[in-house]
Amino acid sequence: MSLLRFDGVKKQFMGRTVLADISFAVEPGELVGLIGPNGAGKTTMLNIMTGYLPLDGGAVYFQDRRIDNLKPFQISRLGIRRTFQLSKNFPRLSVLDNCLVASEAAGVPRDVALQRAEEILADLTLLRLADRPAAELSGGQQKLLEFASCFMTDPQLVCLDEPFSAVHPDIKRIIFEYIQKRNAGGTTFLVIDHDVAIMRELCRRLVASSAGRIIADGPTQEVLQNPKVVDAYLVSEV
Amino acid sequence: MFNLELFINGIMTGAFYAVIAIGLTLIFGILKLVNFAHGEYYMVGAYAYTLFAAATGLSPWLGLPVAVAAGAAIALVMERLLMRPLYQGYTNWRMMKDEYAIIVTFGVSLFLMNLATQVIGPEAYQGPELLQRSRIFVGPILLGGHRLVSFAVAAGVLLLVLLFIHYTPQGQQIQAVAQNRFGASLAGINTARVSQWVFAMSGGLAALAGGLLSPMYLAHPMVGMLPATKSFVIVVLGGMGSVAGSLVGGLIMGVLEAFGAVYISYQYQDVFGFILLILVLMLRPWGLFGERAREL
Amino acid sequence: MNTRRKFSGRFLDPASTAIFAVAAVLPLLVQQPYWQGVLVVALYYGIMAVAWNLLAGFAGQFTLSPAAFSLLGAYTSGVLNFHYGLSPAVGIPLGVLVAGLTGLLLGRISVRMRGPYVSLTSVAFLHIVSIVISNSYSITRGDLGLQVPDLFGLSRVGYFYVFLAALVLVQVLVYQLLRSRAGLFIQALRDDELAAASRGVDVTRWKTVVFGISSAMCGLAGGLYVHFIRLASPEIGTILQSGLVVTMAVVGGMATLAGPLIGAFFIQVASEALRAIGMQHMLVFALLVILSVRFFPGGLWGFVEDMLRKPRVPAEPTVAAARERVGP
Repeated sequence: MSLLRFDGVKKQFMGRTVLADISFAVEPGELVGLIGPNGAGKTTMLNIMTGYLPLDGGAVYFQDRRIDNLKPFQISRLGIRRTFQLSKNFPRLSVLDNCLVASEAAGVPRDVALQRAEEILADLTLLRLADRPAAELSGGQQKLLEFASCFMTDPQLVCLDEPFSAVHPDIKRIIFEYIQKRNAGGTTFLVIDHDVAIMRELCRRLVASSAGRIIADGPTQEVLQNPKVVDAYLVSEV
Repeated sequence: MFNLELFINGIMTGAFYAVIAIGLTLIFGILKLVNFAHGEYYMVGAYAYTLFAAATGLSPWLGLPVAVAAGAAIALVMERLLMRPLYQGYTNWRMMKDEYAIIVTFGVSLFLMNLATQVIGPEAYQGPELLQRSRIFVGPILLGGHRLVSFAVAAGVLLLVLLFIHYTPQGQQIQAVAQNRFGASLAGINTARVSQWVFAMSGGLAALAGGLLSPMYLAHPMVGMLPATKSFVIVVLGGMGSVAGSLVGGLIMGVLEAFGAVYISYQYQDVFGFILLILVLMLRPWGLFGERAREL
Repeated sequence: MNTRRKFSGRFLDPASTAIFAVAAVLPLLVQQPYWQGVLVVALYYGIMAVAWNLLAGFAGQFTLSPAAFSLLGAYTSGVLNFHYGLSPAVGIPLGVLVAGLTGLLLGRISVRMRGPYVSLTSVAFLHIVSIVISNSYSITRGDLGLQVPDLFGLSRVGYFYVFLAALVLVQVLVYQLLRSRAGLFIQALRDDELAAASRGVDVTRWKTVVFGISSAMCGLAGGLYVHFIRLASPEIGTILQSGLVVTMAVVGGMATLAGPLIGAFFIQVASEALRAIGMQHMLVFALLVILSVRFFPGGLWGFVEDMLRKPRVPAEPTVAAARERVGP
């Protein structure tokens, strides 16, 4: 049983086909990268999977349970967490409260949550900012905060939308190492990003999409050398 | 025959509604915010037209440009002092942009209404008619003289606005900013200037309607409230930001009210608009991705 | 701004407690019945300001309809009393129920809307309620209003303490709500609904719940008020009345606990002072709202809070230490 499975997913926006036929699966414990040129529909896939958009055909399964008709909060409670391209936090809540929202919603006991928050924030260099309002954080710190909050519920699957974009290399490194640490502990990751250098280092498997279809799916090196992928994507990116 | 008369009357009322609503939709188009003070531009116009005629005794036709100027002026001042900060680096973590816009424009609305009460007084004034003939036959239909003439003015103005938006460089700049503010500024458009025009137009148009309708609906401090609320309905119905939509929406609103008042209930005719507004807001697509978003 | 420090009291925050303590002895200092009446009215608005602040300041739902719910509370008790002789002891709680359920309905309607659309819907809603009540002449006697009895023969001072008790109750409820996990969810959905949903918050449910609670509180205010002024009139539910409530909360300090209390008191007193000099008080208040929002978005109390913020030098960086500093 795959952890996550896209099965023939189709999506149209105002007459334009964004996703023609998306099918792939993610197994427990994997660290999969999703790459593709802009407009290939990667974020759309994520939004469909996490309940923000309805699909026009096909289905999405999480542990063989169909999730594409569920609301975002229900999907979150199944054990899936995600970030957004433009990081979303709660500006008027403190860094700590930002983390606690997810854990409280999941029913994690407060003391356990505080312990987790301390560890996660420390790992991500945000601990000293624990009681600052999130609005006071820099862009990179906001990214880290949104990222941090994903782990408060000890999720099975974490989906990251462009976690490495528009941040300082130091922050990229922090996020990179934390993903590896968590993945080693059993958390499955699906990462969307354009930074091929990082994705090559981070992901053991890549899924490449272009024009609404999956054009390659396999070990990182193979996919990056696949002529279809090079054509569609790497020419502009590398 | 009676129905035809109702229909014609509805269209005429609708034209006035359209004139008022267009300004509101333009502001929404370029700034993505709702101006709760819009009704007060109407009020200012009603007062300007009415008091100008009373004070100077000149032809009421001269009162119309005065009304337009007054409305435009108030709108420009509001834009310069209160709205400008919104798109020139507004950063205050205690209150977000949307909230600021709602409260500030609502505050201006209250302020202007009470300013009128304080400075002019709570009594209602009746504006002068443009044409003194009270009954004119247009084909088989009987219409009031002023109503007919002011309808002609409104229709002419609507046409001018449409032509302006679509065929002049300024109008096209407005369209560009409405579609993509940032992109428009990159393309060299002075977005602050565009905002000024739009506010001026918005105030001027609403004020014109206020003046034209003052012989019937009078001029008093709260006169703008109902037109404003109806404008909201029209703008939401027709598509926030769409000029053509406001035009069509205004006409529909006018006709619906005309028939509703006669066939359903005179007392509750205003309620239709409000219920319509709520229904449309409930069902209308909006959302992060430009289509009907899922309920969270 | 420290988001947790204000939740350090067990029942209520320190600032509100202090304010209520002062309020409790006010009738001893203010002896003239006229001014006691002014205070009662201030408490009436205070309840609505607290309720609106919960909905708009803490949950981000900018309605302009608090007066409509006060109207519903007032007329529920008023109509039941006028036509069926029902005692206010039953009528007022029923008014709370009616207002609360209607609020749930408005909340449900508004669930998919953001920002200005919520405001528009609430304005339309207020007008609908107002028009229906004004035109149902056989039940409500329209603009003539309904005469209703007072609350068991209370004196002005008696009314003062009844209203104060209601205000304290309402404030404690708000405080406890915000302090709980529900409070986190509510503020989260204010700041970013999409993010809140992605973190497991049932946005629809909590939005609706806050609408219901806020409206019920306004219904309570209206129910008490109608038996104070002894007349159920459509004047209770106008947009200008809503504007007054909004003014108080904004000028006092939105999204703060003490803000609406201070705002209600300040505005009501200022209103009397302005009346004395023949000035339209709403004119000044509208100006205050504009200036406040433009230059002091935190309002009076927000300004105080900002001044009290001590610059921070973190000691040992543990969450436990942070928790200790900021309270439970």
